[in-house]
Amino acid sequence: MVRWQRGLWLFCLPSFGLLTIVLLWPLAYAIYLSFFDYYLGSDVRTFVGLGNYIDLLSETRLWNSMWTTIVIAFGSVALEFVVGFALALALYGNRIGTKAFSTLLFLPHIITPVVATLFLKWMLASNWGLVDATLLTIGIEPPDWLGNPLWAKISVILADAWIFTPLIMIVLYAALQGLNNSLLEAARIDGASNWRILRHVVIPALIPAIIFTISVRLMDVFRFFDTIYVLTGGGPGTATETVTMYTYQLGFRMLQVGKASALGVITLVIVAVLLLTINRMLTRIYRKGDQ
Amino acid sequence: MAPVTIQNATKSFGGLTVLHGIDVEIADGEFVVLVGPSGCGKSTLLRLIAGLEDMSGGKIRIGDRDVTDLHPKDRDIALVFQSYALYPHMTVAENMGFSLRMRDVPKAEQDRKVQMAAQILDLSQLLDRYPRQLSGGQRQRVAMGRAIVRDPQVFLFDEPLSNLDAKLRVQMRAEIRELHKKLGATIVYVTHDQIEAMTMADKIVVMRGGHVEQMGTPLDLYDRPANVFVAGFIGSPAMNLLTGSIDAAGTAFVSQKGARIDFPAPVGVGTGRDVVLGLRPEDIAIAESGLDAKVRIVEPTGAELHVILDFHGETLTAVLHGRPDIREGEAIKIALPHQTLHFFDTQSGDRLVATR
Repeated sequence: MVRWQRGLWLFCLPSFGLLTIVLLWPLAYAIYLSFFDYYLGSDVRTFVGLGNYIDLLSETRLWNSMWTTIVIAFGSVALEFVVGFALALALYGNRIGTKAFSTLLFLPHIITPVVATLFLKWMLASNWGLVDATLLTIGIEPPDWLGNPLWAKISVILADAWIFTPLIMIVLYAALQGLNNSLLEAARIDGASNWRILRHVVIPALIPAIIFTISVRLMDVFRFFDTIYVLTGGGPGTATETVTMYTYQLGFRMLQVGKASALGVITLVIVAVLLLTINRMLTRIYRKGDQ
Repeated sequence: MAPVTIQNATKSFGGLTVLHGIDVEIADGEFVVLVGPSGCGKSTLLRLIAGLEDMSGGKIRIGDRDVTDLHPKDRDIALVFQSYALYPHMTVAENMGFSLRMRDVPKAEQDRKVQMAAQILDLSQLLDRYPRQLSGGQRQRVAMGRAIVRDPQVFLFDEPLSNLDAKLRVQMRAEIRELHKKLGATIVYVTHDQIEAMTMADKIVVMRGGHVEQMGTPLDLYDRPANVFVAGFIGSPAMNLLTGSIDAAGTAFVSQKGARIDFPAPVGVGTGRDVVLGLRPEDIAIAESGLDAKVRIVEPTGAELHVILDFHGETLTAVLHGRPDIREGEAIKIALPHQTLHFFDTQSGDRLVATR
């Protein structure tokens, strides 16, 4: 233990300073701006109190974008988690070729999301895209991936899953490596089937890693922007307009910076509450055992 | 409870053969200890019995069933792991009842069996705790409780005491012995600690390099080790082993370094041949008249004195009782009891039996 010395707080200054510049200052400024009616580039700032908030919360567009965000977030995280976990288990059970497989599977994650999404956009392009062309050759009429409101949501979810499933796979695979093998053997002797070993031994042991991956992904996906921006631009209409897309539209297209700031603050509060709830829920499951 | 028969058990991992045709008979209710140095194949043999590894050849029978190709859960065995392998997110009671739950035993029956096992092991107060809240010895007992609840045909123990401190190990040794008596169970127990083997076993199987070196009761192995390896492995401190030869008359042993031991009569293991002479430290005594030796190191253990002697260039360890007044560097005389000398063939290492 380092004994407390008065001068030690000096060592925290640089990182605290950096945090202030890149995080705390913008946050505080955004909160400040959210109380004003302010257009980017104009000289006038009119104080409106909670006006921006009241405006936003009474708008259907906000609630629609909120709903879209939730559907996309939970859809993609659920898909990523299930597929990622299945892949991790497959890698864990298969000792041969693990390295080659995991490297191949990890590739989409190494590429910048924007570039990966561009690939995907070309693949999903109607008629001549790889996916459509393939489906047409085997006689299946492909849906309008990016033009149909429902399919556009699904495409966005698939895109995010394509990029982030490998991350979940690798994290859970690493956690599986740390699993005490004799636990699995004990369960086999105790007469548990593979499914029950998974349910009663493996998953409970992985809960910390599961909490980590799900929280990190949810946090990320609520700020989801680049993939949607490139793939659908929030369309068709507002079918894939998430809260962040809407914030972007407000701030940089309609130049209503005050309102956009208010939306940012609302997003922050909602994400924080949501994550805390999920975290607490998973932790409680973990503490309680597997009853 | 049931006997276990292992016939010609062979196990290879890739090109590496770790068990070369092992034959072991374990009687109903017998406490058998598999002992040997690291890598001798003892744990692998245990895992073959448990069904955690597939056999490369041979057969295993438990009772009158051939279990060679059965899944571990169908063999009616219980295994206590070295790491205890307790499910960390389950309470003691849930850990112990897990196998019953997996077999869809009614809840009331589960509780009854768990309570019973907890009583036997003095765990009743701890049933609601989690493994992380228990001491090493308590975890060990929970692991045994999990086995008892199953009421299996055979209990398997894989180095269960090696994670405990010395004092607790002695206590748990006695507890496992007592448990064996109480349950009348067939137990196969793996350890690398020959003292554990000696104190607990009805029968010891000494293994090395995937072969059985000797099988027998603890005192059998101590009194009549079948070869140099067993002679050196069983007993603590280890048996003194001197390489040399019997003289032409058959009445003296001369070591390579020139130490000479005369026998009152021919020892009957041949004349003029190369042998390894084995001599237990506890058989060496200080005498008024006898062979000359020089004291190099004295190690008092409290109850006894371990003395390392220089005997005409050879090193001998002696265990002396009482508190003889000897100092390091002193010249003393020692007596060797001729009836407890062991002779082994230099080439094969096998025990030579006196023909007289």
